[in-house]
Amino acid sequence: MQPTHGAGQPKITLPGVKSIVAVASGKGGVGKSTVAANLALALRMQGQRVGLLDADIYGPSVPLMMGVPLVDPQNTAFPLERYGLKLMSMGFLVEPQKAVIWRGPMVDRYLRQFLMAIPWGDLDTMIIDLPPGTGDAQLTLTQAVPLSGAIIVTTPQEVSLIDARKGLQMFREVRVPILGIVENMSYFVGDDGKRYHIFRHGGGEKLAKESGVPLLGEIPIDERVAECGDNGDPIVHKYPDSPIAKSYQGLATTVIKQLAEMTKPPELPGLQL
Amino acid sequence: MSASRSVPLLPLTLNKEGADRLVIQWNDGHRSVYAWQHLRNCCPCAACREEHLKPVDPFRILKATELVPLAPVAMAPVGHYAYKITWSDGHDSGIYTLESLRELCQCPACAGKAK
Repeated sequence: MQPTHGAGQPKITLPGVKSIVAVASGKGGVGKSTVAANLALALRMQGQRVGLLDADIYGPSVPLMMGVPLVDPQNTAFPLERYGLKLMSMGFLVEPQKAVIWRGPMVDRYLRQFLMAIPWGDLDTMIIDLPPGTGDAQLTLTQAVPLSGAIIVTTPQEVSLIDARKGLQMFREVRVPILGIVENMSYFVGDDGKRYHIFRHGGGEKLAKESGVPLLGEIPIDERVAECGDNGDPIVHKYPDSPIAKSYQGLATTVIKQLAEMTKPPELPGLQL
Repeated sequence: MSASRSVPLLPLTLNKEGADRLVIQWNDGHRSVYAWQHLRNCCPCAACREEHLKPVDPFRILKATELVPLAPVAMAPVGHYAYKITWSDGHDSGIYTLESLRELCQCPACAGKAK
């Protein structure tokens, strides 16, 4: 792990932001952005001031999920606001059909600008929706941003756990505290009231146990999640009394508690030469 | 991060000793000593690693920057897990993790183990 960029830049400080939480996964397609968006909303519904930063420069999901269209950056003030959340995403700046084809240093530059040049104001929690993997965005954030902790999202099956372990290991190596594991698409509740474990059972719990971190929550499958995400109205907001929205509320409560109990890692001493 | 450590390895102080040495006092009581040149020789950046893999060229012409003595100009923390050293020739791409710094220790005890 030897990036040649980013580390030479000044450290990012966000004095008005109490906690910065990265939502990550090793693997794509586990519903990380859905978890990030709904967790942000659940925190907001519990009275927190919340920001949601979409750090997936190549495949931003926040604009669609939050129902915010492309804007003209020349006459738009960022962050944008929707459902009481402060939002920033590359998807606000680039048309959805256009690909962002950049090497790492450009990703690093834009992420820094999103964090430093945008007046986020006072927030209780900033949720950062990371892209999958252990690449440039993750390195920029872990090297330059005072992350309070990371949440690892996985689905129950082994193929997802393999990459979730890698994500977990990355945060351990760079000494970012891991708040815990969220198992998404955990089960489906049928009309008969029974739980059906469509993608196998217990993967998140297994990963939490073997890694010595808490299992923060198990989020059920609900077909309305996709409909809500595609229509720009996340399920926690659209159906606040649904079982899945209640799971997210439980997750938000646990995250708030974890953040309150967490010990901040010590700053490394510097050397004046 | 070493799996055998119950408490994560942390530097308590970093000090420059004379013109050519760095001393790190660690939280497990160990005192590491390094020659700056040793740290530069072991720079973990991609470019230096690539350079180390190449056979020595006996006809290599020295660059102007190589003719003046090399010195560190800054050593700054990177996140909570590493340090970046900026050198007088402008090189600054090496990220030395805490574990790698400990492994590079040149104190008599560590140097003896390495032999």
